[in-house]
Parts: sequence; structure tokens; C-alpha cells
Amino acid sequence: MNIQTIIAVVITAVILLLAIRYIYREKKKGTKCIGCPFAGECTKYGHHTETENCHLPE
Amino acid sequence: MRIAFAGNPNSGKTTMYNALTGRSEKVGNWAGVTVGRKESPIKEAFTKGKEVIAVDLPGAYSMSPFTPEESITSEFVRDEHPDAIINIVDATNLSRSLFFTTQLLELGIPVVVALNKSDISDKEQTKIDVDKLSQKLNCPVVKTVSTAEKNNGLDKVVEKAVSLAGTAQTAPYVQADIDLKDKAAVDREDRKRFDFVNGIVKDVEVREVLSSETQQSDKVDSVLTNPVIGILIFAAVMYGVFWISQAWAGPGIADWLVGWIETFQEWVAGQLENSPAIVSAIVADGIVGGVGAVVGFLPLVMIMYFLLALLEDCGYMARVSAVMDPIFKRVGLSGKAIIPIIIGTGCGIPAIMACRTIRDDRERRASAMLTTFIPCGAKIPVIALFAGAFFAGAGWVSTVAYFLGIVLIFLGALLIKAITGYKYRKSFFIIELPMWKVPSLKRAFLSMMERAKAYIIKAATIILICNCVVQVMQSFNWQFQVVEEGMEDTSILASIASPFAILLIPLGFGAWQLAAAAVTGFIAKENVVGTLAVVYGLTNFIDVDELEMTGDGNVVAATMGLTSVAALAYLFFNLYTPPCFAAIGAMNSEMKSKAWLWSAIGLQLATGYTVAFLVYQIGTLITEGHLGTGFLPGLIAIIVIALIIVAIARRVRAHFDQQYSLHENAKAAA
Repeated sequence: MNIQTIIAVVITAVILLLAIRYIYREKKKGTKCIGCPFAGECTKYGHHTETENCHLPE
Repeated sequence: MRIAFAGNPNSGKTTMYNALTGRSEKVGNWAGVTVGRKESPIKEAFTKGKEVIAVDLPGAYSMSPFTPEESITSEFVRDEHPDAIINIVDATNLSRSLFFTTQLLELGIPVVVALNKSDISDKEQTKIDVDKLSQKLNCPVVKTVSTAEKNNGLDKVVEKAVSLAGTAQTAPYVQADIDLKDKAAVDREDRKRFDFVNGIVKDVEVREVLSSETQQSDKVDSVLTNPVIGILIFAAVMYGVFWISQAWAGPGIADWLVGWIETFQEWVAGQLENSPAIVSAIVADGIVGGVGAVVGFLPLVMIMYFLLALLEDCGYMARVSAVMDPIFKRVGLSGKAIIPIIIGTGCGIPAIMACRTIRDDRERRASAMLTTFIPCGAKIPVIALFAGAFFAGAGWVSTVAYFLGIVLIFLGALLIKAITGYKYRKSFFIIELPMWKVPSLKRAFLSMMERAKAYIIKAATIILICNCVVQVMQSFNWQFQVVEEGMEDTSILASIASPFAILLIPLGFGAWQLAAAAVTGFIAKENVVGTLAVVYGLTNFIDVDELEMTGDGNVVAATMGLTSVAALAYLFFNLYTPPCFAAIGAMNSEMKSKAWLWSAIGLQLATGYTVAFLVYQIGTLITEGHLGTGFLPGLIAIIVIALIIVAIARRVRAHFDQQYSLHENAKAAA
């Protein structure tokens, strides 16, 4: 394998790992949709905790 | 210390909250934008070093919990005892705003009234005696203009609220002790409160322009909310938005961006010339090419959101709600259903969640089921790709996509009404039409940049990973050997996608590549573009040389092997089938019923399939004089779908008959 291949593989692996880590962290925070423009505002549609689904009080 | 921000809808609470906290929560120039509460520390510059948390509550007209938004406010204020309340009062509508103010003052928590939009009321030459108002309400009143950068009164409001925290509050008006379950008694008390408030307003306010007089804006509104002209104007406005974003300014800027992406892709491919073909394929084609294809549409998305933000900020979108409301009621939807649909042009998930403000179970579920027929932001690249590749970037493609979505919502609502046997009933939708104003370019720009950031994050995460997986699946066969060029039909991806492709033959796009793209679209709709770029080895969906989205359109069309009619059918298939797994998850949360959830998924799949079938078959008949491939199997599939719907309807109605035939139930019980 030449140096360009090694660099390409390493960079690709790092980018993929970072992407997977980001998705994992967002899901743990309770974000319903990664990259959704409203992801940070999902709480606006009801009382929302990390363990609950987004439900308004009945 | 916690300070609650409470007030009528669209009084400027969130704008003030953003200004004080430095957050950028969504602000819309219409009521009902904020439905949940948000908390954040107020900047120390306002609190002089003290830690103060601001709690932005949804707008409420009163403490009575008639709607979920109002119940959040009333419950928070009653149960969580903030240290002070900043009551944002719309200075242009004092008599309506003060009703809620007098209720807040009864809670015993210190209140500071922020007399907001003072600039607008000054322009209208309305004079309010602030000192007298403060005296009558037994609380400080501060003039504010939350949209102004300087001299906005915000520091004074916070200073007053912090200084009063923990002190007692005397109410200028106290409600009599009545049975709150007695509607007549509550109405009587409300009228007394209104009389009290009107007495105050009469003393403190002098208007040059009476609200009963017809203003220029009222004349404009009468045209814009006309049931016929209003809709035509809406269609024209949206056509303008799509034309600017997707046929004129958008492609021009995208062109430049795609040029850079292509240059970068060529450089990467050049660097990996001597690398194994699989590495070059994944990195250059899968990652750079696939993600680049999606990112290339970013300018179109940004411009569209910029224009929509302007429309919302000027007050037009609230008028659209008023126009659509009577039509929605006619098809058995709540008039409130228009709000989720407008939100759905951005993203389907908050749109589905916004349906929870609809009280009636059936109407709420129906709205949640149908709202995703309106194309969301993720579908814009898909629309732009096909409009550009097959229809010379014509603006009518987007317009038809959105309006067909609205038509499908109506038809879907009628179908649900027919299945559930629901009779037409009155429902009410009350919305305040905000004043017309010159839209804020800064706010529209910030809204646009927020969307752009989210788009790039999605491209750099979900779409990146999907494209890698697709590229790997396309490059290897089941023996994990690298597939030779031209032999992609033997790849893992082709073998998985081919069975789906067979089902899609009657729709005009029976190629496994298109089926694969449609399937990956359920993860994120932008993936349709990314996957097509990977499977067809195309990155440039926007012509660089001719600086418009038409030159290479023929290359794209030829590569995909689709006629214009089939391309339109494929586009509609992707637009009207279930949007993405996240949206299905949101529907699951809102439906709270597996039967409704699966019905929703089934309805959306059936709709996408049927629309694509009709477009392809009828379109081919018109353009080529014969029916398209697979007409008969497709027709059989549609008939089966129709029979399933009839069977479900009969089962539901039989259940009704069983439930409501009282004499039969009585006999059975005996």
C-alpha cells in the first residue's frame, strides 16, 4: 500500500468514527433526528426529558 | 433565581428571551410558535453578576387550561413558583393583553410588566400613560422594544424583576370565589375581569386609530384571506419562492460550489490513482462524490429557507393559515392542522409533534398521518435534482410537488373520514393575524444559517455513513470479492435492491439503482441524491460549464435511463411515501396506537405507489400514445390496495355497529 492509500484509509476511518460518535452522543441526549434543523428545539413541543418521549401533559 | 416570561402569543416573549439569554430559539411572527418551555441563564450584563434563569413559556391568553400551551404556562406558574414574572404585554393590544396580566398578579408572585412593541404603538400614535398603568396594576411597567439592539428597556425590566424577587405582590383585581366547574359562573367572572381591564385601558390609553376602523392592512387581509383569491395568491407566492431558489439564484450559486466539489473529487481521485480501486471508490466516489452531490444543493436549500423566513416574519404565513382553515375543516381535519403542515415544509418531525395541540384524537392522528405529504426540507435536493435533470430546472416542478402534497392531504383526510365513519363536526381555529411588518433580513439570515448548519451536519454524519455503506455494498459481491466495473449487477446492493425494483416496474423505474436510492431515502431523504450519485457515478447534477442546471441534465437523464414522465413518477414516489424512520418514530409517539401507526405507514406507501403509477402510466399514454411497462401488474396492485382499504373500512364500521347498537348489547348482556 502506498502512502496516499494509507492516509486516505486513516482519514476515512477517523471521519467515520467521528460521525458515528456524534450520532451516538446525540441519540444519548435524546435527539430524535440527527441533523434535523429542529433537533435542538424538540423540547419546544412539550415537556421533555431525556427518558421520556415528547408528550404534552394530558 | 428563576424568572418566568409569560404573556399572550406573539407578544415578543421569545424575542426578549433570545435577547436576554443570547439563545436563538425559534421566533415566528405568528401565534403558536412556542409550544413548550425553555430555560436558559440571562446574560450577566443584565443581571449584574447574579445567576438568573429565564424560563420562556408558551403564549397564553389566560390561566384557564383550554389548550396544552396554556396549561404548560398555568401549571408552571402555579406549581413551580418562579421568583418573579416578567409579563410581556403587547402595547398595540392592551385590552386583550391585560386580562392575563390581572390573572398573573393574583398569584402573589412579583410581576413586572414589559410593555413590548412600544415602537409600533408609538408609530400608531397610541399614547399609554405608563406611570398611571403601573399605579393601577400595582406593579412596575417598563416600555420595551425587544427587537431593538439599543435602548430597548430590557436592562430595566430585568433590574426591576431581580429587585422584586421574593417580595409580595398585591393584586389589583381578585376573582370571586366561584365553582370553576360552573361554566356560567366562570363566564360571568371573566366578563367582570374584562370590564375591570377595559376600565384601566380607558384611563391610560389614548388611541389615534381605533381598532374598529378599517385600515389599509385590513383591506389587504380581506384579499389575502379570500377563499379563492387567497389561494391563487398563495400559489403565485410559492411559485416565486421556488423559482428564485431552484431555477434562478439557487442553481447559480450551487454551480460555483459544485465546481469546487468536483475539483476536489478529481484531486482526491488523482491522489489515489495507484491505490486499490475499492479505496478510490469509497473515498472519491462514495464519500466525496456522494456527500458532495448532496452538499451541492445546499445553496438552493438556504435560499428557499431565507425566503420562507421572510414570508413568515412579515406576517404572511398566518394569513395562509386563515385561507386554508375552512378547507381543512371541510375534509374533517382540525383547522389547527394547517400549522403542522406549514412547519412540515421545514421538517416532518416537529410537524408531527405539533399535531399534539389538536385535542380530538381522530383529528390529531389524522393530521399526524397526513402532514408529511407536504415535502420537507430534506426532499428539496431530490426535487431540485429531478427538476434540473429532466425539466430544465423549471420552477413548476416544485410548485406542483407542494400543491400535490396539499391535495393529497385533503384526499387522505376524506379517506380517513370515510373509513372512520366520522361525521362533519364544528371545530374552531382561532389565530391572531399579526401586524404586517417589514421582515427582518437579519432574522431570516440567521434562520437560513441555522438550517444550513443542520444540513451540513446531516451530510457529514448520516449521509456520509450511508454513502460509505452503499459504496461498499455496490463494490463487493456476496463472496466479498471486488465487483468488476460494469458488473455492478452482481453486487450485494444489486441483489438486495432488485426484488424491490421488480415491484417498481409498473411505476416506470424498475432499475435496482433507483430502488436502492429509494430505500436509502427512508434513512434520510437526501440519501436519494447521495445514493444516486454513488450508484451511477455521478456527482455533478449541476452543470458547471453552462452555469445552469440544464447542460449536464441530459447526461444525468441518459445515465439514469428514465423518461421525463418516469422521472416525475420517481420523484413523486420519493416525496409521498413515508419520509424517514425518524418521522415514523415521531408518528409512533403521537399515534399511541399500533393500528393507527401501521395505517399511516400503509397509507403513505399506498399513496406514493398510486401517484407514481398514475403519473407514469397516464403520462406515458399522453406522451407516447401507449401505456407504460407493467400496467396490468400495477393495476392489480392498486386494486389490491383499494380492496384492503375497503376491508379496513368495513371492519372499523362493523366495530362501530357492534359498539353502538345498544339493544344488541343489552340482549347479549341479558
